[in-house]
Amino acid sequence: MFWRVLRQSFLEGRRRKVLAGVAVCLAATLGMALATLSVGVGDRMAQELRSYGANIRVVPKGESLSLGSLGLNPLKGRETLAEDDLPQIKDIFWRNNIIGLAPFLNAEVEVSGARVPLVGTWFRRDIELPDGDPFTVGVRTVAAHWAVAGAWPEADDEVLLGAALARRLGLGPGAAFDAGAAGRLRVAGVVETGGDEDAAIIADLALAQAVAGLPGRVHAVEVSALTVPENALSTRARHDADKLTTAEYDTWYCTAYVSAIAHQIEEAVVNASARPVWKVAAGEGAVIGKMQVLLAVVTLAAFASAAMGVSALMTATVVERAREIGLMKALGARLAEINGQFLAEAALIGAAGGLAGAGLGALLAQGIGRMVFGQGLAVPWIAVPLVTLAAVLVALAGAAMPARAIARLAPVEVLHGKR
Amino acid sequence: MTAAVSLRASVEPARPVIELRGLGRSFGTVEALREVSFAIPSGAFVAIMGPSGSGKTTLLNLLSCLDRPTAGEYLLDGIPTAGMSEAEQARIRRERIGLVFQQFHLIPYLTALENLMLAQHYHSVADAAAARAALERVGLGHRAGHRPSQLSGGEQQRVCIARALINEPSLILADEPTGNLDEANETVVMDLFRQLHREGRTIVLVTHNPAFGEVAERTIRLAHGRVESDR
Repeated sequence: MFWRVLRQSFLEGRRRKVLAGVAVCLAATLGMALATLSVGVGDRMAQELRSYGANIRVVPKGESLSLGSLGLNPLKGRETLAEDDLPQIKDIFWRNNIIGLAPFLNAEVEVSGARVPLVGTWFRRDIELPDGDPFTVGVRTVAAHWAVAGAWPEADDEVLLGAALARRLGLGPGAAFDAGAAGRLRVAGVVETGGDEDAAIIADLALAQAVAGLPGRVHAVEVSALTVPENALSTRARHDADKLTTAEYDTWYCTAYVSAIAHQIEEAVVNASARPVWKVAAGEGAVIGKMQVLLAVVTLAAFASAAMGVSALMTATVVERAREIGLMKALGARLAEINGQFLAEAALIGAAGGLAGAGLGALLAQGIGRMVFGQGLAVPWIAVPLVTLAAVLVALAGAAMPARAIARLAPVEVLHGKR
Repeated sequence: MTAAVSLRASVEPARPVIELRGLGRSFGTVEALREVSFAIPSGAFVAIMGPSGSGKTTLLNLLSCLDRPTAGEYLLDGIPTAGMSEAEQARIRRERIGLVFQQFHLIPYLTALENLMLAQHYHSVADAAAARAALERVGLGHRAGHRPSQLSGGEQQRVCIARALINEPSLILADEPTGNLDEANETVVMDLFRQLHREGRTIVLVTHNPAFGEVAERTIRLAHGRVESDR
């Protein structure tokens, strides 16, 4: 009988219930879209942010030493890493999160009678990983923010000139110049990075190795890795990983914190010291963290307004059906039975609105993903039941106030037409 | 005929179904009822009459446990009703009282049959066969699947009476049962009450209709919240 009454009463006030369902559906749409975005955008944002620079710098162990309060390091520039070890960086536990790397070797050449820094690197190169898969590396994979006027070097004698150096030498793309031990070089493009590279010649790694007399060696490797925002656990691990419990260590190690990835690189590459570039890593974590807080606040606001919408509509229903409720009470219905009917109606509205909203939200997130990032986002399917459950709870919360109105309603008043 | 609608063949020994001792009901400084005392034995047919504002409806609300007295005592089937919680009052209503309203008060989106089954549901278990038999008892077996809006006023009142009888209450309380009916339907409903009385039901009804005063075996007249006459 309960279901029969519920069905009939549900069909009776369809217009108002559809309106309540739409309110819940809109909130659930937003909730689902934001859930999809906050999961998917985290990855996409991380990829986008990666274009602003590498977030891990790998140097020889001796390079990271410092003596005394002045930070003197007698080994600075003398220690090197083996070029052949670079593929090992892409063979760690979080190998799939390593999206780019580039080696650097510093040398000097004489140009027009002055000593000029020569930085050797790979511009773009396909290497073979230990498991046989190909992997594209080079400065173009870790420094997409470099603004190059002209073209990227293709031939062995082509270089990029730092913008400041190009101005000083009066050279531009297409020009050729003598660079001492490096021979005659052609300018493919002029690069502006905002860093030390602006005063240097950026050439192929092999050329710099030949000039420096360090074949097969590199001074540093910059690595671009997809990471999750740092938290208290990763901060503790950064200070002293030995103080973590086994469970904490496992959690930290198996989470893509920048510090965990740096730690794994140190394990993989002989004599390497991998240090997160905290400015980039922290900025990235802060941006993603703030974005997720913003999304959560908007979602909460949407659900709160949906609850108020349901509450207003259900209250109107209670007022409209006061006589019916009064009659049920007069017939001896238990308060729980009457409330149960209204709460069941609210739960049905919530479930229907929540399911519809979850579907629409997934579509909306795809649309936003395509618009902002040029491709759709992966739908976290676990969010569907969670969003539906949230919608049901919101609808029930909205029905709480009308339920109190039902409890207060006196049958004598409504049955004799005083209300 | 099922148990739910089986009718009492004989009048039970006269024990009071209703016993009022100095009952009073005040609304602020207004005394709607004062010092009302009487007893109604099982199987009686009592009409409560009086002018508007005499306290008839207030008395009926107290008798049906929809309201609480501010003075005196009300015993239903010998059970004191003072101090009962709302839940206990609701239990008394669903187990011992059948209500008939002037405005019928049927649920508009349920059929006649479903309106009866709802009362059964609140009482114990909905039984479609028993509900259908109760509708046949008031001559509406053929209208079981109709909604209130598809029934005439007289038919709606007969459904309301069938609903009042469906759980075998010890007391039927009716508030102006013919107040919204035309003459033909009034006769049908009055005949129905007459028949229920013959079958031994205890009936108390509030009415302005002098015809009921003639049908009822006892008439209590109220004036200014007091019992003016009882005969």
